[in-house]
Amino acid sequence: MSLESTPADEALDVDEKGPTGAISVQHNGQSRLMLNLERFALPGLFAVVLIFFSTWSTTGHLFGTAANFQEVASNYVYIGILTLASLIPLVCGEFDFSVGQNAGFTQIVVATAMARFHVPLPFAVLLAIAFGALVGLNNGNVVARLGVNSLIVTLGTSGILLGIVEWYTNGQSISLGISQSLLNFGSRNYGGIPEVVYLLVIVALVVYYLLEHTPYGRYLTSIGSNARAARLVGLRVDRLKLSAFVLSGALAGIAGVLLVAKNGSAGPEAGSVTDTLSALAAAYLGATSIRPGRFNVLGAMLAVYFIGFSVAGLAIAGVQSWVSQVFSGGALFVAVVVSTLIGRRRSGAS
Amino acid sequence: MTTEATPDARRPWRRVALRIDHLSKTFPGTRALNDVSLEVESGTIHCLLGGNGSGKSSLIKVLAGVYQGDPGGTITVDDVSERADRTTPEWARAAGLHFVHQDLAVFNGLSVAENLAIGRGFPVRRFIGAIRWRTLNRRARDVLDRFQIHVDPKRLLADLRPADHTMVAIARALQDQFLAGDEGILVLDEPTVALPSAEVDVLFSALRQYARAGQTILLVTHRLEEVISIADRVTVLRDGNVVATLDADQFDYDKLVELIVGRALDTEVSDGVTMEGEDLLLEVSNLAVGPLQGVTFGLRRGEVLGVAGLLGSGRTTLLTTLFGLKAMTHGTTKLDGQPVAFAGVDQAMDAGLAFVPENRSDSAFLDMDLRENLSAANVPKYWHRFVLHQRQEAEDARRSVVEFSIKANSVYQPFATLSGGNQQKAVVARWLRRKPRLLLLDEPTQGVDIEARGEIYRLVRNAVAAGTSVIVVTSDFEELARVADRVLVLARGRIAGELRPPHIDASRITELVLSASASDGAGEGAHEMENSHP
Repeated sequence: MSLESTPADEALDVDEKGPTGAISVQHNGQSRLMLNLERFALPGLFAVVLIFFSTWSTTGHLFGTAANFQEVASNYVYIGILTLASLIPLVCGEFDFSVGQNAGFTQIVVATAMARFHVPLPFAVLLAIAFGALVGLNNGNVVARLGVNSLIVTLGTSGILLGIVEWYTNGQSISLGISQSLLNFGSRNYGGIPEVVYLLVIVALVVYYLLEHTPYGRYLTSIGSNARAARLVGLRVDRLKLSAFVLSGALAGIAGVLLVAKNGSAGPEAGSVTDTLSALAAAYLGATSIRPGRFNVLGAMLAVYFIGFSVAGLAIAGVQSWVSQVFSGGALFVAVVVSTLIGRRRSGAS
Repeated sequence: MTTEATPDARRPWRRVALRIDHLSKTFPGTRALNDVSLEVESGTIHCLLGGNGSGKSSLIKVLAGVYQGDPGGTITVDDVSERADRTTPEWARAAGLHFVHQDLAVFNGLSVAENLAIGRGFPVRRFIGAIRWRTLNRRARDVLDRFQIHVDPKRLLADLRPADHTMVAIARALQDQFLAGDEGILVLDEPTVALPSAEVDVLFSALRQYARAGQTILLVTHRLEEVISIADRVTVLRDGNVVATLDADQFDYDKLVELIVGRALDTEVSDGVTMEGEDLLLEVSNLAVGPLQGVTFGLRRGEVLGVAGLLGSGRTTLLTTLFGLKAMTHGTTKLDGQPVAFAGVDQAMDAGLAFVPENRSDSAFLDMDLRENLSAANVPKYWHRFVLHQRQEAEDARRSVVEFSIKANSVYQPFATLSGGNQQKAVVARWLRRKPRLLLLDEPTQGVDIEARGEIYRLVRNAVAAGTSVIVVTSDFEELARVADRVLVLARGRIAGELRPPHIDASRITELVLSASASDGAGEGAHEMENSHP
């Protein structure tokens, strides 16, 4: 990640380095320090939270245990995947406010497929992803082709999906006929780590690769930076935006499957706008670190677990649940303000 | 002071509404206004005329209080003097100077009455603050009647004709003065640029009526035939100096061109922009789109073709159409002898075209870094075997930084932290990296310091030496004369003339642009003829 080349680097690709190779390291010392402070503020805060709750006498005996870490890690995989789902449209400058409700919709899809139509698990999962992507396609079409504000469109989608879920489930949970292997996946550990965490790691790596190491990711970033300029360098802006919403929907589909795996059932209450807010909070909080001013996968994942462990610590300390609510809301508030300020400084406005 | 006693010898009954004495305005390195003195008589339409860089805009900005003049000048409105280095927007408002700019700042989504009330305050009910719509509309109707704008105050501005937009903007500027029974001065800055000629007639007949009713009007314009049709007096500026102030009976069209350009009128008129038997890269024939009609020209390989024209002449439309951003409604374009019609920017880029837009807000990715900005038009180049080779990208960026003399600490520096000139060099470099066959430049040096200007054109020259052809649009005619091998003059959507060496110089370009933009009626006739034999 480091921008400087170590001597070893230099030796390896000496023929790649031109005579001007040195210019990348001439940073002004003070701004470098500030940048690093900014970049590592969130990881630092995260470490402080972990150490504090592990050592504080009130919480240490419960917080600092493997069981607690497994519990929190596993519980926040769902929010982690939703965060990745909302990250992709955010990178190209659009909101997907429907990710949470979309997960609530696709959990019904996957559960119904298995319980009612006896669809084998792999196909039920594919079906859920396809339905999620379809919702994304609809969002993307309206946003990209008609140019309607994405916040409003996806908020509307969210409402429609909520209604559909209520109508279809009649307020009842689907808990019979769900594949045992899916339930096992949701509750088992592998090598001391919950199996669902591996899923999050894999999805996060894929999204990271997509956003940081492919032209596609660069294109989305360019559109988010300046859509008109992106069009003038030959990018098909509306198609790319559309694809971002489709990907976001597909990831919400995965999140829906995960809900069923974790809860053991598909209920009408799971997967809601509240989850969308948590995901957006994590995405914005993540944009304040690692690559300040830019939405980035690693920062977002750090943010998910920063919030997760903080809320868990507060719960163990016995604070009332409203404190956790205020903490999550406060994190979103601070994240949006700080990342806006960083972004503004980066783009030179005052 | 009772300066009713500075009567013009010829019209002793006239009163001077605005007098400017010895006004200078110096910017670092240039003098925009040099000892300018002029008088605007009450109840007359006084035109201010001049080419690009003549100082018109600076003069207006000093009057508006946006700029301050150098010490020593005075501005007198209705016998109240103010030092020219002390003008402020508040002073201008208090003195009764009312400005309507080219950008009218009217709201299309609001009604006429709301447009009039905005900035002046809405009539509201006491305590609850609700708008009193009936009062609002009644007041608006009074104002509209006074200014003879025959529209319903409840109609949306978007539904009105273009001339009415201007008139509503004028009414809004003057309504307070009218209600207070004061006299004032209306300053119109290029009000007709965006108006079709029929709309100009509507606006002008209204202006004449206002003047007859005693309104003083200072009108800034580029269009000579408008001056001839409406001005009671005209003041011509050139290079910051007042060249002449003439009454309506003292000037004609040729005289005005001569004053603006600074020498006797060239009677030699060049025509014919067809080129045969030459090594042509681009052939455009009979192109029609937006304001453009029947545009025909050719471009040689390795040639720099300049395009000169006023705002609204279709110069930007020409470039955006060639680049596939707009679809041609009529005509053909051939690249290397092959007919082409690009359905999008990507197709134009594949064919070897490159376009640097007029505003950097259309080309800069401010919150991305320099490296990403440089490679924005060829990201796929770094995509091999499912990896984006960012190290190679950074390496190429470093090479470009040297090659295009971009001043930056690092290729990872956020683009926003580069100076405007360096940003523009990077944008030009972004396209030159692709080794384009045809480079389209729209105002490439706007807002760029003089050193960076020179460097940008050096880069373009290097590309030309390597075989790139260039079409450059700029309103800086001095610059155009320096860089272009050939200049086309675009006026009112058509090619009005061509200049080839040794005839390319700024004053000739100005002359052609002005005379072509003025020949409104004649232009219509020519248009008919051209269309009759396609």
